[in-house]
Amino acid sequence: MALVEVIAVSKEYQSGEEIIRPLDGVNLTIGEGEFVSLMGASGSGKSTLLNLVAGIDQVTSGRIEIAGTDITQLSRGKLADWRAAHVGYIFQTHNLIPVLTAYENVELPLMLLPMSAAERRNRVGIALAAVDLTNRADHYPRQMSGGQEQRVGIARAIVANPTIVVADEPTGSLDDNTTEQILTLLQRVNRELGMTLLMVTHDTDAASRATRQLRLERSELYENGTRLAPRALRTA
Amino acid sequence: MFRRLLPWDYGVRNLFRRPSRSALTLGGLSIVVLLVLVVVGFIRGLEASLAATGNANVMLVYAISSGSDIENSAVPGRTPALLSASVAGVRQRHGVKYVSPELYLGTRMSIADGQQEGLGLVRGVTTTAPLVRQQVQIVEGNWPGPGEVLVGRLTHSKLGFEREALAVGQSLEFDGRKWTVSGVFAAGGAAYESEVWCPLADLQTTLKRQDLSLVAVAMETLDAAADVDLFCRERIDLELKAVSEVGYYADLQKHYKPVRMLGWVVVCLVAGSGVFAGLNTMYGAVVGRIRELATLQAIGYRRRAILLTLIQEATLLSCGGALVACALGLLFINGTAIRFTMGAFMLRVDSVGIAIACTTAIVLGVVGALPPAAKAMRLPVVEAIKAI
Ligand SMILES: Nc1ncnc2c1ncn2[C@@H]1O[C@H](COP(=O)(O)OP(=O)(O)OP(=O)(O)O)[C@@H](O)[C@H]1O
Ligand SMILES: [Mg+2]
Repeated sequence: MALVEVIAVSKEYQSGEEIIRPLDGVNLTIGEGEFVSLMGASGSGKSTLLNLVAGIDQVTSGRIEIAGTDITQLSRGKLADWRAAHVGYIFQTHNLIPVLTAYENVELPLMLLPMSAAERRNRVGIALAAVDLTNRADHYPRQMSGGQEQRVGIARAIVANPTIVVADEPTGSLDDNTTEQILTLLQRVNRELGMTLLMVTHDTDAASRATRQLRLERSELYENGTRLAPRALRTA
Repeated sequence: MFRRLLPWDYGVRNLFRRPSRSALTLGGLSIVVLLVLVVVGFIRGLEASLAATGNANVMLVYAISSGSDIENSAVPGRTPALLSASVAGVRQRHGVKYVSPELYLGTRMSIADGQQEGLGLVRGVTTTAPLVRQQVQIVEGNWPGPGEVLVGRLTHSKLGFEREALAVGQSLEFDGRKWTVSGVFAAGGAAYESEVWCPLADLQTTLKRQDLSLVAVAMETLDAAADVDLFCRERIDLELKAVSEVGYYADLQKHYKPVRMLGWVVVCLVAGSGVFAGLNTMYGAVVGRIRELATLQAIGYRRRAILLTLIQEATLLSCGGALVACALGLLFINGTAIRFTMGAFMLRVDSVGIAIACTTAIVLGVVGALPPAAKAMRLPVVEAIKAI
């Protein structure tokens, strides 16, 4: 079943006289429970595509349907509400809120959802346990290592049980050991919690952990060497 | 709208991120609010001293020729008797008519054998004076006997003396004579509080005058008060004029209108400068947090929630400043005496002053937070999220 449908999406930037078009009629279908990695040269438009799917950037043309909602049609406020309910975002640098503890950082997305305090406590507990940081709940980001911070970031991204989790180079600023830890964790999130993941990476090893590997080249998307066509065309 | 706001703690803890900057801003805002409090206290004190003085049922009768300046007025000594006989409706109790003959003038007063002197206001009165001027209350000592004076609780300020210099038992010199302070009176902030009261007969003897400056009469009703005016108009030969006490002081208030206007202008200017203190801090707080604020938006917080948390931070600071300022104001400023040409009055830190100060603080917080917040949110989330 298609959870994410990216249909003929283009993104243009005006830079002086020149028009940069990192995405040009890109199509992508992601099914529920898939772990999709996205590679490509620097500046090829990976982050752009990821941010469009995450609903924090606007397409120039095309549609993005996620769990039946065309998010390109939502107003800015509605889009924020939609993100709260449907997207978990893992940043390259964790982007934790420094004045909040690990627990409070993880709780942050739940504050946006209709949920009792007891339910929130329960969910935060589960998310922290999933990233094995139960004993660090009361620590502030500055009291944790980079790897631990990133794990809190992952807990924060999965705590609201989002429709899709996006990760932009989640291991980009970690050492090899920690990278290994994080990748294993992401795999577990995908396999054990059944979450759908879209991960941008530069690292072939990291990409190989995913169930599908995509490449962005010359503004177009390829899987196993073939350009992805709209779903309708493929099934035909 | 449920739970769409950032946790309260987030705003509070952000204030402790740069404790010294927050403390400095708190100090700056406290000073601003304190200044507002002082100026409002000044205006309020001035207004109160004139307003508390007036009573609509009390008529002041004085000479037409004096214009509106009672100090220059001279009315014949028989006027009080004439008034009580001719006008119905004069208040009376136990057979005493509430008619107060008074001799009122400005004069040079000195203490300690002329080592310290000041320009004071003296009022020669009889025992009916406190009946007519009902706000007057003796707070210390006794009503003056011959050669004695009763001083108001602000008289020392008006003269520029220490409070102790006019304590009961001290002496005061004016019009070539030494007087002993027999008591101190208060008058609920009224202008009399900076006067010196002495027995009318004594003052007349000292000045070699038989006449009066004015006669104050308390009437039973407002209609009766109007009759006093009528009497003065009818008896042209007496050349008298009647003004209600309220009217008299309302007239004086008009003279101070420019001062009050100036006061409000100062309040606005001071508050305006306070905005910059708030702005400066909030710019600092926001600039270093562009990425964090974008992260919150990426998580799903609306821009409104972020705006509110920034306003919360700024208003917490400015309200803290207001709290400090009001505490200082009540402790050190409230009741400070101010000398003024027509007397002295006290700075008043009252509910109105505090309300104005707190409103100023809240406005400072909100206005100080808006431009930096707007700056933070102008940047698209995708760009802000990469900011350092
Ligand atoms: N706000 C912008 N204005 C103009 N051009 C932009 C803007 N944002 C991105 N671009 C351009 O779009 C292209 C794609 O950027 P994007 O960040 O998606 O690349 P990327 O594949 O994520 O690169 P990297 O691997 O270095 O992160 C780049 O050429 C970039 O210069
Ligand atoms: Mg990128």
